[in-house]
Amino acid sequence: MGLANNNIQSGASTEQSDGNIITTTIDKVVNWGRKNSLWPMPFGTACCAIEMMATLASKYDLSRFGSEAIRFSPRQSDLLIVSGRISIKMMPVLKRIYDQMPDPKWVISMGACASCGGVFDTYTLIQGVDQFLPVDVYIPGCPPRPEDLIDAVMQVQRQIQKGELPKGVEAAP
Amino acid sequence: MTEEKEITEDTTPLVIQQLREKFGDGLLSDSEAKDGVVVVVNKDKLYPLLEYLKADLSYSMLVDITAVDNSNLEEELMKYDYARFMVVYHLYTFEGETPRIRVKVPVNDQDSKVPTVINLWKGANWLERETYDMFGIEFEGHPNLIRILMPNEFEGHPLRKDYPLRGRGERERFNFDKQNA
Repeated sequence: MGLANNNIQSGASTEQSDGNIITTTIDKVVNWGRKNSLWPMPFGTACCAIEMMATLASKYDLSRFGSEAIRFSPRQSDLLIVSGRISIKMMPVLKRIYDQMPDPKWVISMGACASCGGVFDTYTLIQGVDQFLPVDVYIPGCPPRPEDLIDAVMQVQRQIQKGELPKGVEAAP
Repeated sequence: MTEEKEITEDTTPLVIQQLREKFGDGLLSDSEAKDGVVVVVNKDKLYPLLEYLKADLSYSMLVDITAVDNSNLEEELMKYDYARFMVVYHLYTFEGETPRIRVKVPVNDQDSKVPTVINLWKGANWLERETYDMFGIEFEGHPNLIRILMPNEFEGHPLRKDYPLRGRGERERFNFDKQNA
């Protein structure tokens, strides 16, 4: 409980508790649980996906950070990792997958192509998925190293713990 | 002079000699490239020539079909009566001394149609669709000539030289309702 204490405790614990009782709010407990059980939906379309696979595999092992349940069904996930180029033919697919994810949901835009089109300044490539999706965390790099993706996931976790709403909720009227 | 001519004829690959003999004026030009033989053929003679290459000279494998838009290359345009496109067929044989042959056919902008070769090589189906998608060349007789790479509602043919590199705003304008329908 040591780690949990630091994150979810609010206010002073009473003298009588002897460390067995902590006082907090429901929101903080829920956020603490939510941040340690992110279920990512991988949307890999290019070489960034290779780095993402490395991040999920044994050497980098994203599950150490409470994010191991990779779902290939958007209906079971709450973190969309867009890793790779998104063409104008793929954008409706990505948008539909995002729409199918239950709230609350977060989006990581991984790598230069997903974030701004990268070197592919051509007729067929979306110049940044944030034109159509609310992106919470961007990762620079071409492709980014697995450490960068881990850092981004932890960034999302920090946002969740702080109680910040995902961009998708903030944007909604 | 006659001796020199004989020598050059001897080194001409057998395929070219056979094609010259069979198609005569239909063969607009022939040359040798690093990787094989290049022939330019008249559009009327395209299908008979490809059929002959497959049936009689055992070019059993169709490697690729593509096209070139020569509209920026005055030099190339002049060669073949200002035909804008050059449709290119790459063939391969597992027998014979010239495994690779490239067949080109000049195609006019006003009448950008060539016969389909699906009857000869089934693999031509998607290759012809790609060439149609990118260049707008129509393959007459193709059973399903629709776009293969670009979305169905896309307008224009992006590998034509008059198509802007960054598009006409397709990548910013999006109608998700229409596309999901």
